[in-house]
Amino acid sequence: MIFAIFAPLLLAFIIPLLSKWKHKVHTGWLILPIPFAVFLYFLQYVGADFQPQMVSVDWIPSLDIALSFHLDGLSLLFALLISGIGTLVVLYSIYYLDHKEQLGHFYTYLYIFMTAMLGVVLSDNVFGLYAFWEFTSISSFLLIGYWHHRERSRYGALKSMLITVFGGFSLLAGIILLSIVTGTTSIQGMVEQSDVIVNSEYFPFILIFLLLGAFTKSAQFPFHIWLPDAMEAPTPVSAYLHSATMVKAGIYLMARFSPILAGEPYVFIALSLFGLVTLTWGSYMAVRQTDLKGILAYSTISQLGMIMAMLGFGTKVGLFAAVFHILNHATFKGSLFMIAGIVDHETGSRDIRKLGGLFTFMPISATLAIFGTFSMAGVPLPFLNGFYSKEMFFQASLDNTASGAFAETLVTIIPVLAVVGSIFTFIYSMYLFFNTFTGKSQVEELPKHPHEAPKMMLVPPFILVLGVLIIGLFPTIFNESLITHAADAVYGGEANKEIYFWHGLIPAFYMSIAVVVIGAIMYLTKSKWSRIYQVLPGRLSMNRVYDWMVEKSETASQRITNTYMTGSLRQYMVLLLTAITVIVAGVLVKTNGINFDMAETASITTTEVIVTLLIAVAAIATIFARNRIAIILIVGVVGYGLAILFVLYRAPDLALTQLIVETVTVTLFMLCFYHLPNLKKDTSSWFTKSTNVIISVAFGLLMMVVGISAYNSRSFDTIAQYFIDNTYKLGGGDNMVNVILVDFRGIDTLFEVAVLFGAALAIIGMIKLRRNKGAN
Amino acid sequence: MINLIFLPIVLPLLASVIAALLTKKIKITRLFSQITSVVFLIFVGGLAFYIFQNGSIVGQAGGWAAPYGISIVGDPLAILLVLTTNIIGTAAIFYAPRILEEKQERFYFYALYFLLIAGVSGAFMTGDLFNLFVFFEVLLMASYGLIVLGNGKAQLRESFKYVLFNLFSSMLFIVSVAYIYAITGTVNLAHLAERVETVEQQGVLTAVGMILFFVFAVKAAVFPLYYWLPNSYVVPNPVVSALFGALLTKVGIYSIIRVYTLIFVHETAITHSIFIWLAMFTMIFGVIGALSTHNVKLIVTYNIIPAVGFMLMGIGLYTPEAIAGSVYYLMHDMVIKGALFFLIGALVIAAGTKDLRQMSGVIQKYPLLGWVFFIASLILAGVPPFSGFIGKILLLEGGLRQEEFLLVIVALLSSLLILLSMMRIFVYGFWGELMDGLSNERKRIRQLTIPGVVLVGLAIFLGIGAEFVYPQIESISNMLYERTDYISSVLKE
Amino acid sequence: MEIILTVLASILFSTGIYNLLQKQLLRIIVGTVLISHGAHLFLLTMSQVKRGAPPLLVDDVSSYTDPLPQALILTAIVISFGVTSFLLVLAYRTYTLNKTDNMEEMRGSDYD
Repeated sequence: MIFAIFAPLLLAFIIPLLSKWKHKVHTGWLILPIPFAVFLYFLQYVGADFQPQMVSVDWIPSLDIALSFHLDGLSLLFALLISGIGTLVVLYSIYYLDHKEQLGHFYTYLYIFMTAMLGVVLSDNVFGLYAFWEFTSISSFLLIGYWHHRERSRYGALKSMLITVFGGFSLLAGIILLSIVTGTTSIQGMVEQSDVIVNSEYFPFILIFLLLGAFTKSAQFPFHIWLPDAMEAPTPVSAYLHSATMVKAGIYLMARFSPILAGEPYVFIALSLFGLVTLTWGSYMAVRQTDLKGILAYSTISQLGMIMAMLGFGTKVGLFAAVFHILNHATFKGSLFMIAGIVDHETGSRDIRKLGGLFTFMPISATLAIFGTFSMAGVPLPFLNGFYSKEMFFQASLDNTASGAFAETLVTIIPVLAVVGSIFTFIYSMYLFFNTFTGKSQVEELPKHPHEAPKMMLVPPFILVLGVLIIGLFPTIFNESLITHAADAVYGGEANKEIYFWHGLIPAFYMSIAVVVIGAIMYLTKSKWSRIYQVLPGRLSMNRVYDWMVEKSETASQRITNTYMTGSLRQYMVLLLTAITVIVAGVLVKTNGINFDMAETASITTTEVIVTLLIAVAAIATIFARNRIAIILIVGVVGYGLAILFVLYRAPDLALTQLIVETVTVTLFMLCFYHLPNLKKDTSSWFTKSTNVIISVAFGLLMMVVGISAYNSRSFDTIAQYFIDNTYKLGGGDNMVNVILVDFRGIDTLFEVAVLFGAALAIIGMIKLRRNKGAN
Repeated sequence: MINLIFLPIVLPLLASVIAALLTKKIKITRLFSQITSVVFLIFVGGLAFYIFQNGSIVGQAGGWAAPYGISIVGDPLAILLVLTTNIIGTAAIFYAPRILEEKQERFYFYALYFLLIAGVSGAFMTGDLFNLFVFFEVLLMASYGLIVLGNGKAQLRESFKYVLFNLFSSMLFIVSVAYIYAITGTVNLAHLAERVETVEQQGVLTAVGMILFFVFAVKAAVFPLYYWLPNSYVVPNPVVSALFGALLTKVGIYSIIRVYTLIFVHETAITHSIFIWLAMFTMIFGVIGALSTHNVKLIVTYNIIPAVGFMLMGIGLYTPEAIAGSVYYLMHDMVIKGALFFLIGALVIAAGTKDLRQMSGVIQKYPLLGWVFFIASLILAGVPPFSGFIGKILLLEGGLRQEEFLLVIVALLSSLLILLSMMRIFVYGFWGELMDGLSNERKRIRQLTIPGVVLVGLAIFLGIGAEFVYPQIESISNMLYERTDYISSVLKE
Repeated sequence: MEIILTVLASILFSTGIYNLLQKQLLRIIVGTVLISHGAHLFLLTMSQVKRGAPPLLVDDVSSYTDPLPQALILTAIVISFGVTSFLLVLAYRTYTLNKTDNMEEMRGSDYD
């Protein structure tokens, strides 16, 4: 199984090499067998006696991250969809993409996606699942941006990535919390501990994080906005990722955790509410679109909402219908995308206002489209699978019970929203079919003269439509061998349900009839309604919110950054000093750090006081100095004063060094500032001056308080006695400071010299490089 | 064996002197530098392997027992970082000849480079607070020399600010040493740890510790002390920026990790919760900065800052797994920042501009550069299964266990915005119509890309091959958390 | 006396910082010099002054002043000297290239 999952990825690395021969053989042919083989591999598991399988390979055991794959009914259903539709899409793309395109890139991305998606639906380890999850987002980004010279492609790619990766990060937080609560990283292990999870105090957070992950990926309102823009991808990609597989990852996630979540009141509210709003809004928006793929994109959004809502119901019927609809949706939506691609390919336009009357030019495509659209609309005919799941959806929408005022209101609204959403679904399905294939043809408006697609290009949609019909005619076969197992996995127990065409005159049937009747009337009178479509959503569009946020992220961050990144040294220093002063002072107070219980101090003599005063006065005088020579001399006074202090404090070596260094420094100052302009009067504002005074005094005070406290907090003998004892004995010298420098702490001295060496190199570099420049 | 532990510090110093003397013959200098850094790398690799197998090596300089002499501590954390430093350094040495002007090379690039490596390695390995100051000065002096290399107008302007900030924090460092010496009477880190524990970090010690934190925080570019960073990292040559971005701030972070897991660990309720807040603001303002500009190099530069926030977050959380997260992230960030600066340098040469608005379609001509950059961006944002991810889950898990939900959310959102800032370069700079004025120096661009490829490969290995690395990191973090191993191996009691 | 010295060191810090906050290069550098003097003085003060004889071994003196801080200060003085001389040259070069010694006129966001 592991090989089956990774085969596409392995192939993806080889694909760039294959594209060398793309002028002789279309790359697609070379790589077609792989997804088909994967499909066959998974097909062998299908059957009434299917038992879940588990394989596992260690990856990072010390972090409990493993490549462990659990194949149960739900995973099997998805794996079959991914590999099956994957095969058809590759076949389709051979005719859709010309070999002048960068086929190598296309198939590499596509096969990376295939592995990633298989990984998502098969991983049992949550971190493994997350890793694959992010890779589906990334490969989707690359595929949407495939024609990256188009501005819209780049926009759509970035948008989809931001939104889905946002959800991915949220999912990450959710699964980390789950693993903290349960102490395991295995999904099956988590399912076994569902009551631990549900009763944990973190449960609300877990729920929010997981929902954000699922809603963004599965394009639920209000995160649906990336999906229509994702239609910039080549049509095979739209059919594959953005309708049949990747967008169902969020659905998968919710279904996977359904044994834990189902029945929780908040889960019910969140999933059904968002699902139904998405259903209604998506189908409403689909009616407004003029681009074929736009209609299909919004239609996908709305269908995903419907599945999400059914998962939210959490009832046996609801969950079963959700699983069933995942399969059905993949078949009819996949075929419709492919036909939209054919129309685009053969006419050069996807604008439904320019299309019409294509039935005569492309009869096969049109016939296939009839089945697709009618199945999508849920027209009650026994050979359309869409009807079965649609009716179960109605049935499930009536079945809910809940307690609490809000939930009870919701229970009553659910059927209403379900019907409204389905009416719009009916309308856009009719609109999609009839406005494209019937009516007056406007061939002269189209960029290309329309004709039927090559036969092989029609094969993939044909197979999918065949799927629609077979499932419609013989639902029991699929039920027993596949769907039951999937539904059991979602329900976490026996969820067996029979599929019938005729249930009797139950309320759900009336709802279906109402949808068809009202939908038909509204479709026929569409021109009279169309003005409403112009009004709503108008300014309410979530796209505006996204664009606004992206734009703001740039402008606002520019504004924020520019307010403090001014390039002004003074300003930076002020901020830095203030931060240090405030926080250190705060900590000092908080920890009772101030200690003014005077420890023993040395006596005070007049000489010392005079020298001290001299230094202090000189230091303050630097502020008022107006002349460059004066200020250098004053600094010299401070330095020499310090040397005197060193003498007084029995540090002869220090005093000597200080004298030499001070002399050299003053000389250097003189040399250097001979070239610099003289000091000017400080012309800055009163406010600036006083801030400077406050900050420097405050910082000095802090240093002083901490210093005195530190002095008074002496708690240990210093390590000095060792040096005093051993200078002669071990170091062989009389001068302790010297022995410390060259021996006890020799490394200090060695690298002190290194600093001087570095300074010398840097100075030479600075001066010489300039000369070179001058010479040039 | 014990004396070998001094070599990672002393040998680069020696190499620096030789490189300075050789400087007239540029080709020989290059060759010498390349051979020497590879040899160092192999040597340090062997040393690291030995230490991981057999435990810390502590060298007492001059044979003077701790705490009186200076201890050079080759514990697993230090040697891991020294190894990473040498890897990046070696990549930089091979990158340098293609990106520097010859006169920049001649004016002591290589000598200053080796001095920098000596300083950085010393800072990682020293077990003495004052000696840490000295090594800071060594690496800063080398960085001063490198940042002014080239003598541009803006370069000198920003260098001046850079030097002043560092000078100030160095002076503060000396004062902190003075305070600490007054209270504890020692400067040896292990000895300090013992003595601070004896007095239970009472009274003014915590405030002194905070001052020391700020000393390191200025170098590590923690909020609100990072203002100096963006401009001064963007002005020098890309190879210098890469060395700075990969090594310098990390020395600051390392010092914070060391001091706040070894010495000042008795008032975590105060100090470490301050870190958490600072970490949060560091992430926020860092990514805001990264989004605020169209200068591609500046975008990468700003991205240094949120990474610092991530590492500080682990220190603030102060649990073994969070510390492991910080250490993993530290190592990862050194590698990936080095790689990104290399790649950005190549991009700027290829596109002939730093302005993202004037770039497009670079990938059509330089696909390798484009794809490596793309992967590097994903690694930076912490996408699995690469190196950033391992550090990130450890940190997030640590955060969630401590119920720091706000922190976790900020961390995740800033990861997203990091990704946005990097993807903007990819989407608008690499994708799109082929721009005019794209460089034709294919060979040079390829040579500039390869060091980046190597480092990105390493980062991928650190993620996918985490099982080879993580157990080491885990034991490092346990050692840091337990402290006794470090103290007893230095003081040998 | 140590308390007085601490105050003096703090004054050196305060005046140094005040100069650092000015515009002119010269004043800024003077500020750094004052701050480093302050830092060195702190190091000396914090280890207690005037306790015992100078750290030169003499027969029949048993009490010496603490030699370690003196060694540290010596190292620090030399390092500060190196940095200050670098800073001076840098200031000079910055001035000649940017044609101003006013830091506030050296904000700039051009990174040529």
